[in-house]
Amino acid sequence: MTDINNATREVFGNIAPWMRVVFFIMIAASIAVLVWQVAARVLLWRKGQQGGFERDWRVWSRRLVEYALAQKRVHKKSLGALLHMLLFSGFVVLTIGTTLLAIAYDGPYYFHHGWYYLIYELTMDVFGVAFITGCLLAMYRRAFQRKPSLGHNRSDWWLLGLLLSLGVTGFAVEALRMYYTQVQPDVAHWSIVGWLIDVTLLRGIDVGRAQTMHLAAWWVHAILVAAFFATIPVNRFLHVITGPLNIAGRPERPMGALVPLKMEEVEQTGRTGVHELSDFNRQQLLSLDSCMECGRCEDACPATATGKPLSPKAVVIDLRNLMSLGGEDVHRTIHDETLWACTMCQACVQECPVLIGHVDLISDMRRDLIGEGKLSGPPARALQQIGSQSNPYGRSNSERLAWAEGLQVPTAESNPSFEYLLWVGCAASFDPRAQKVARATAQLLKEAGVNFVVLGKEETCTGDPARRIGDEFLFQQRARTNVETLTRRKVKKIVTPCPHCYNTLKNEYPQFGGQYEVQHHSTLLAELVGAGRLSNSSSNGEPITLHDPCYLARVNGEVDATRAVIGAANDAQYREMPRCGKKTFCCGAGGGRMWFEEAPSQRVSHLRSQEALATGARTVATACPFCLNMMTDGMAGTQGGENVKVLDIAELLLNRQRRASR
Amino acid sequence: MKILVSFKSVPDPNDVAVAGGAVSTPKSVINSFDEIAIEEALRIRERGEATEIVGATIGAPAVDEQIRAALAMGVDRAVRIDDSRALDPYAVSRILGAMVKKEAPHVVIMGKQAVDDDSNQVGQMLAGLLGWPQATFVSKIEFLDNKTRARCTRETDAGLEVVEVNLPAIITTDLRLNEPRYVSLPGLIKARRKPIEVLTCDQLGVTVRPLTTVLSIARPPKRAAGTRVESVEELITKLKQEAKVL
Amino acid sequence: MAESLILIEHDRQQVKRPSLHAITLAQQLGGEYALLVLGHGMDGIAASLVSYGASAVVVADDPALAEPLADRYATVIAEAARKRGTKTILGTSSTFSKDVLPRAAALLDAPMITDVVAIEETDGSISYRRPINAGSMFAMVKVEGDRRVLTVRATAFEPPAANAAPCPISHFDFDAASLPNGMQFISREERKSDRPDLTEARVVVSGGRPLKDKETFERLVGGLADALGGAIGATRAAVDAGMAPNDYQIGQTGKIVAPELYIALGISGAIQHLAGIKDSRIIVAINKDPDAPIFQMATYALVGDLYQIVPQLIESIRRA
Repeated sequence: MTDINNATREVFGNIAPWMRVVFFIMIAASIAVLVWQVAARVLLWRKGQQGGFERDWRVWSRRLVEYALAQKRVHKKSLGALLHMLLFSGFVVLTIGTTLLAIAYDGPYYFHHGWYYLIYELTMDVFGVAFITGCLLAMYRRAFQRKPSLGHNRSDWWLLGLLLSLGVTGFAVEALRMYYTQVQPDVAHWSIVGWLIDVTLLRGIDVGRAQTMHLAAWWVHAILVAAFFATIPVNRFLHVITGPLNIAGRPERPMGALVPLKMEEVEQTGRTGVHELSDFNRQQLLSLDSCMECGRCEDACPATATGKPLSPKAVVIDLRNLMSLGGEDVHRTIHDETLWACTMCQACVQECPVLIGHVDLISDMRRDLIGEGKLSGPPARALQQIGSQSNPYGRSNSERLAWAEGLQVPTAESNPSFEYLLWVGCAASFDPRAQKVARATAQLLKEAGVNFVVLGKEETCTGDPARRIGDEFLFQQRARTNVETLTRRKVKKIVTPCPHCYNTLKNEYPQFGGQYEVQHHSTLLAELVGAGRLSNSSSNGEPITLHDPCYLARVNGEVDATRAVIGAANDAQYREMPRCGKKTFCCGAGGGRMWFEEAPSQRVSHLRSQEALATGARTVATACPFCLNMMTDGMAGTQGGENVKVLDIAELLLNRQRRASR
Repeated sequence: MKILVSFKSVPDPNDVAVAGGAVSTPKSVINSFDEIAIEEALRIRERGEATEIVGATIGAPAVDEQIRAALAMGVDRAVRIDDSRALDPYAVSRILGAMVKKEAPHVVIMGKQAVDDDSNQVGQMLAGLLGWPQATFVSKIEFLDNKTRARCTRETDAGLEVVEVNLPAIITTDLRLNEPRYVSLPGLIKARRKPIEVLTCDQLGVTVRPLTTVLSIARPPKRAAGTRVESVEELITKLKQEAKVL
Repeated sequence: MAESLILIEHDRQQVKRPSLHAITLAQQLGGEYALLVLGHGMDGIAASLVSYGASAVVVADDPALAEPLADRYATVIAEAARKRGTKTILGTSSTFSKDVLPRAAALLDAPMITDVVAIEETDGSISYRRPINAGSMFAMVKVEGDRRVLTVRATAFEPPAANAAPCPISHFDFDAASLPNGMQFISREERKSDRPDLTEARVVVSGGRPLKDKETFERLVGGLADALGGAIGATRAAVDAGMAPNDYQIGQTGKIVAPELYIALGISGAIQHLAGIKDSRIIVAINKDPDAPIFQMATYALVGDLYQIVPQLIESIRRA
């Protein structure tokens, strides 16, 4: 029996001193090559505008733990997620292990023995197996699942082959070492894989021969390691360096808030947004290099799903390629139609494991298109109308209260001691279909005895469509005007039925000095239902599903209130769509696309309607006037959807109130 | 090639109202057909076929806002003929005739009509005064023979017509020619540096007196919204007698 | 009072009937009037004009006038007016008259009034009523000066009676060789339909998804449009379903129209469609869903089955 305390192994046992020198030089050289290439990338990032990085160490260190270590975004029920966990954990453990060994060997105190050593060996072997399994699964997935969004670079097979070889030769070296050093079985068992190889493949081989084989295998492994280091920057593996850098570096900001432009900048440069690659900031350029081309953003994108010329992954890769080539003109690489196709649903941003901000990239480029006069047609008309009529529908702003006819809704002017401001939004003010939502909301608030008012003619467009389409100037005009009105009217609490207004008022108006307690109407209505002031119990018993609006569920993380309002938890007939909650699927109207032309075969709303229909629902509830518009149109144009009702949660709740009081 | 684009400042059609027998103008914009003319001139220049685009309009200093919008779109420089009288198309065409003589453009492009007056006369009158060829209600322009001729597709009641006109010529634009670009802050900033020249009729050497006078303006009675009818007969009766549209 | 001169339009085969309506205004103004036609091979056309109570049918017939080139036509019209001592030239609004008459007016130093819908006489002076601001308002205008040119809106005046004793046909002599040469006619492509252009029609009848297919769409929407002399429009859904061609689409991403009368058949009223019709003077909506959003914008709402209602409507209009 070996004395446990003496259980250890010789390091560099078979490697002659001169070979060790050669080894160190080789590794040093390969690391130098790696560092040199990374430095070249850093120089490219430095061409961008200064700043854009997260400064608060508490924020970025938390993020590193959550996203880089705990791999929060990677977890999913998929082969890709599984194989990445295996590869990641395997690689991390093996790297830590090798580092510990080096420290033990070079350092003052040799701790690589005893129980530590045995557990070390077992751990390394288990994770080595995990690593190799990960490689094999990745190869299988790449060869047989052939997902288009994964992408196929020539370097992909090189990388996988290299990683697999590293894993296999690693075990070969271990097994051969154990064999020729004739490790005692009770210790050898701990290095379980090596031991298994010993007793199966190497059985009967001459020890001297094994030692020679070990040397050969060791050198092969060493050369592969050097090759691996040197080639990291030219294949997907670069993300292990750039990924954490981006995860840490990405500035902390609410998902729904775009970055304001400073007018002074525009005055100086005569430009808005990004025209040349160096107009992006350094963090954005770094983010281009952190992409490992997993394709999850592309899989989630509604534009890609409907055949439009936009894939968020392609935008990142194309910009990255432009950067590598030293190019500048982004519009040569990214076409106008690509940029206009985005609904800014943020599904890509939500999916990205390394936290790339695709929507910001697109928004910055859109701003330049607007500045260059590249927008015309219906969306241009909508912007013009926001500018001159203060709403994108071109209706006279004096008609803002037309929806309230007969309801006696108080205005801020008539009742200055109000608690809530009901911010109606342009859609609910002027779109006849959405006006019913405004009416329902107002009626519900009245019945619940909420002390609310509306602004009436003083309400003007929040400017959200202007900002999303790219006219930051127009947006800021609207924002400043509205903040002035809200300040003058001493508004503290706002409730609105529109998630876009909600997002802008809550997350973007603070950029202009407007701080309010903003609620989406689902939250307030859910509170009132919960407090018994409104009743949602008498449903009509028909199957029902909920379409979560992007700007409520994904961008602002609110999924419970809408369900509470329609009593989903107690309704046996309620069913969820496959893409629901924070992982909802866009209706197609966001990003200003409400005003863009969409070819019949490319309608996002039709795709989503099919998903809703597949649940068997006869009613689709939603909580956004744009979603209402899109889903109504989508259902009417989809086989089997003609008799499906699309309703806002406020309308549903009001119907149930009425039913209950009968 | 030098293009002269003339444009008119009109009340914003979305906001126009009648007050005291006259049109009240809370907000003015460039006439939409003239915007199309400006856009076309810009596209011609972007194709490399024009080198200078000059804008011209007639009005009081208040129309400078519309001039800046035109400059923001991309017009190189602009001239305002300072005259705040209510002019008629013939007077306008005579003033523009003097402008053309001064600027000597290769082609004049303007909207087919102003959306406030809807007369559809100025382009044609200008062509007559100058003795130049004209192509009206144009939905497509192509320059031929080293820009000595223009082939234009015209929108007519019956369909389309294609004509060729020798340059210099007057071209008036129809709706389907193009969709004007949206202009935002950078354009407006660039526009600030572009010159606006102000001239009087005297300086142009032209004296005009409008021969048409508007006596009054009235709005037909505002339609009553949402009358429910129960039958075809009732509908027809209402359309005939109430709405007076049948 | 000097004799008026009325420009009559033709399509090289026969007279375009709406152009005759200008005669009615001339009759209201009083005094004699002559009819003018320009072209080549005008004998038949001239002969068809002799019974409208004119003092003469003046014909300018020459190969140089075979196509309606504005520079030539305006020159001849101005010359004819001068030679005949005409003070008032009339025509009916059309792309032809709008192309030619303003140029002729300039050649005569005369002001012109487009789209006259009515006249008023006060204290011996005449004022003319005409639409402005896309027809959302009407202006009363007067003109001074020696001569004037007027075009009338065909729908505002009745067609003239063709029962007068025949008048002489007079050939107008002019020097064809000295006519301007700066314009050249290349080709024309005529729409096979008689229907007016969608964006300029006084009446538009539009259909939505419930019209099922192309044949039904043409039968009901087309049938009603024809009964009213209007143009056809369609919603995006109808166009997507192949019921109507793309250029009939009305709405935010299609055409914006502002007719006197817009009839929406089976159209629910999505905001994108309403954006294309909001400036219409009268909107009639026929839909079986009483909650359809379009009813909020409609002047007259008829809830019911369009398959029953529209044939009735067509019948009633034809009878009236």
